Amino acid sequence: MKTISLKFGIKMTTVVLAAVLGGVWLAATYRENGSRAILLPDRVMTLFPDPKPLTDFAFTDHENRVFDLSRLKDKWSFLFFGYTHCPDICPTTLATLARARENIAKSTVGAKDVQFVFISVDPNRDTAGKLGQYVSYFDTAFLGVTGDNAQLGNLAGQLGAAYEVKITPGMENYPVYHTPAVFLVDPRARYHAVFAPPLDAEGISRRFKVLRNLEGPKAI
Amino acid sequence: MRWRHPVLVGLMLALIPIAAVTAEAGISVRDAWVRETPPGVDMMAGYMVLQNNTSRSQVLVAASSSGFETVMIHRTIVKDGLAGMVHASQTELAPNASLIFAPGGYHLMLMNPKRTLRAGDRVDITLKFRGGLVLPVAYEVRK
Repeated sequence: MKTISLKFGIKMTTVVLAAVLGGVWLAATYRENGSRAILLPDRVMTLFPDPKPLTDFAFTDHENRVFDLSRLKDKWSFLFFGYTHCPDICPTTLATLARARENIAKSTVGAKDVQFVFISVDPNRDTAGKLGQYVSYFDTAFLGVTGDNAQLGNLAGQLGAAYEVKITPGMENYPVYHTPAVFLVDPRARYHAVFAPPLDAEGISRRFKVLRNLEGPKAI
Repeated sequence: MRWRHPVLVGLMLALIPIAAVTAEAGISVRDAWVRETPPGVDMMAGYMVLQNNTSRSQVLVAASSSGFETVMIHRTIVKDGLAGMVHASQTELAPNASLIFAPGGYHLMLMNPKRTLRAGDRVDITLKFRGGLVLPVAYEVRK
């Protein structure tokens, strides 16, 4: 019985500590308004003190419109690389992002200045029609985009992301590997932050709302 | 005396399922679910918590279902910053421990469902362990 209560004690201490740390994180962020340094040591979101401006790329979105650098301007963009034949990590991430978007939409500022972009690294199978069906299942506001290998490599390289498509002749379900992180690009089309898995909707939306508050009109 | 026989038969019949449950209780499954997929997607994933109630390790070697063309045991791993899937054809359950099949880790990869599965539906998948133990499990489709 003693071990059980000790275990419980440790568990409770952990929970309390986590809650206190969470509170400190938010309190510190709000108090240090204007300083981004306070956001730096975070396991969920890595924020770049000197956001990197992205250079041009050319994709096509799920409505067959051009999706290039200009589409990343004047909006915060959450980017995620994946493919629709992915049974585990892609639907999990998109479902999480849909919940994060819902949380952001509920804030006073709303989600009008935010877009979520699913970048398929498997253009061979993911046509515009397929991408549209796929992303709108999670959230009708989501965008699905893809491009040729050179363009995918271009943007992935700028974000430090990677992918590998192992197309094998005669093999219908070839393996695809991709970076599981979610990238955040600010309204000036600069690579601003990255969210590392395991991802959770509240962790993402809470940090994003604080970041957007801090950046405010500065970022636009 | 007339009633004795049917009562005995009844008792024996009642004992059969108990015996079956006890044999299966060596390994139990809870929170078994399959993620609903967007329209047109024929790749699904199944999750659960496997509990090994025995004092020796158990090995999950296969899974099958009449609801899908193919069922495989997979694990999502991140290697050198890349997420990918590997076959987990011999998945060991430590003695008296549980193994979690959850998004981003171990999962049953379910290919080409025979019918469209929507949230609320149930689909049966049979888990096979080394030594011949077979465990039928009902998975709930969830959004």
